[in-house]
Amino acid sequence: MATADPISEIVTPSAPTSVGLLVLLAPMPIEQMESVLAKLSASFPTEDLLIATPDECRTDSFPSLRIVTAPAATPSSTLTATDFVHAYQLAQKHEAHAILMLGPESSSLDSLALHDLGNAVLTTSTDLAVPHYDLRPHVGLISSAILYPLTRTLFASRIRFPMAIDLGLSLRMAERLASAAQRFIPVDQGEAPLWPVNEATVSGYAIEQFDVARLVQPQPSSPDLNTIFPLVIGSLFSDIDAKAAFWQRPRQLPPARDPAPIILTPCGDAAAEIAPMLNAFRLAYSNLYEIWSLVLPPNSLLGLKRLFALDAAAFRMPESLWARIVFDFILAYRLRTINRGHLLGALIPLYLAWVASHINITASGANPELHIEAVAAAFEADKTYLVSRWRWPDRFNP
Amino acid sequence: MHNILATMLQPDPGQPSSVDNASIWNHMSDALHQSLFRILSQLIAILPGILALIVALAIFTLFGMALSALLRHGLAAVRFDDRLARSRTNTDWAPSTSPTALVARTSFWACVLLGLIVGVSAFDASFATGATLPISLLPYFTHITGAVFLLIAGTVIARFLARSVLIAAVNTQLQYARYLSLGVKWLVLVLAGAMALDHLQIGGVVVELTFGILFGGIVLTLALAVGLGSRDLVRRSLESHAEHPGERGGTPLAPPNDGPEGPIRHI
Repeated sequence: MATADPISEIVTPSAPTSVGLLVLLAPMPIEQMESVLAKLSASFPTEDLLIATPDECRTDSFPSLRIVTAPAATPSSTLTATDFVHAYQLAQKHEAHAILMLGPESSSLDSLALHDLGNAVLTTSTDLAVPHYDLRPHVGLISSAILYPLTRTLFASRIRFPMAIDLGLSLRMAERLASAAQRFIPVDQGEAPLWPVNEATVSGYAIEQFDVARLVQPQPSSPDLNTIFPLVIGSLFSDIDAKAAFWQRPRQLPPARDPAPIILTPCGDAAAEIAPMLNAFRLAYSNLYEIWSLVLPPNSLLGLKRLFALDAAAFRMPESLWARIVFDFILAYRLRTINRGHLLGALIPLYLAWVASHINITASGANPELHIEAVAAAFEADKTYLVSRWRWPDRFNP
Repeated sequence: MHNILATMLQPDPGQPSSVDNASIWNHMSDALHQSLFRILSQLIAILPGILALIVALAIFTLFGMALSALLRHGLAAVRFDDRLARSRTNTDWAPSTSPTALVARTSFWACVLLGLIVGVSAFDASFATGATLPISLLPYFTHITGAVFLLIAGTVIARFLARSVLIAAVNTQLQYARYLSLGVKWLVLVLAGAMALDHLQIGGVVVELTFGILFGGIVLTLALAVGLGSRDLVRRSLESHAEHPGERGGTPLAPPNDGPEGPIRHI
């Protein structure tokens, strides 16, 4: 959803008056937009709504809705710095009290989800309303492997999808995010992702999570893991680096939500699914060991050696090993042990090994969410390692 | 010094001198003594220049150390690293040290370089006005410095490119990733070596010829390796493009092997 046009080019069909909720829509086909507008009309009083969309929209279908043109946007699977800047500028211009940002394919969200996200920031003291998507087990794996465990461990937040594309923002939350986004705009990095949960936690704002069923997940414009992974993980590592003073202090984790109902899915052919990932890991072990040894301590390298020797059926990466690997990569990112682009590239095969292990575990009948919770718990248990090595990086590390 | 050498070269007054008795050894001794005298005189003439170079280098090094320490403490006091970290977002180019250390080191080495330039200028002036030393020592020294810089830059670039190619090739699952990386590394190293030799004016046409053969050989080897080894990859890529025109190569976010839980999606 990164945008290119300046905000000053927005065409406002009516004079700006104070509105309750500004709904910022991602680009989408007209049929989808009409579906979203119908759901919004059913969920909120129409006089409270202001719809901003970059697409052409026939206002005669919804005469009671005020629709303005938002800056043209390119479809993206993440909310970017430019999106947050434009959202806040629009909210300021129209004196909106809260913002609801909806990503691509948001027509697959039900009315209740839209109501929950919008109502939380409009009528309660919640500053950030985040969806808890009801995804299939093998979807959103970067979030399961790295984003969620790190957010939970370092920012004491149980938000399951920190990189959600549908968000409810209070005005002060939008201002905070726009302020954080401003540092990316002058250096022409408007498409960099932001981390609303981290910003809200650091600011002490209230965050609430809502169960949301999303039938369709948008696909990134570039479907290459080698492109997306460094972008997302590099952005998160950079944010962690910038907020080190916050997360080094111990914090109480909020109580866990009610466990989601366990959906038992039939076990598929896990061996066929993980074969390409294991090949990638084994090829990387043969070639990237020298680079990994610059980043990882001997104990982790030994763990990888054992993994390398395992056959596909028995392939399991211990949660503690994965947590230690991610922490060591964060430390190397901070210390610039090697070029950061190289570092993030060298993490991809290890991430694929984790995915293979996760698929194997879920194929054996385990609840995937329980496994992800176990991974996050391993991250929490090893946080002292990250903190101590962050403070004293040169200490002996076996 | 001149007097001492003249005394050394005077014949022994007690020894009877005669043209007839003058042997070839006396002539040779004279020639050697004159040569020694000439060389020592020339060295004495450039000694002030060498001394000026050493003094200039020492003074500027000390000044650089003081400036570096001052900058280090000053920047640490104003929390320069933290301020920069807040405003800096570009992570593609990342130095291996903190910005404060980088500034301090840069200032130190700039001072050392300045001292070297001042010293060499003084040496050059002394050298030019001193003796008529037949060898062109100074111009060659600058060529050697340039060649060393070329080699260092070539090595650093070769290492960076080799690592980039290795990681990219591994993530694209090319089985010959290591050979590709080695090929790129040696390509750059050979190029840097040839440039350094050319800069030193050593070898002439032989170096150019050897470089051409080596460079062409490596490129041909890489082309053959990639061409022969990537047949399957290209075929898969073409098939993939034919089936899904919007997708590109690399590790896909959603592999086509749909299990009962649907396709694997990383994002």
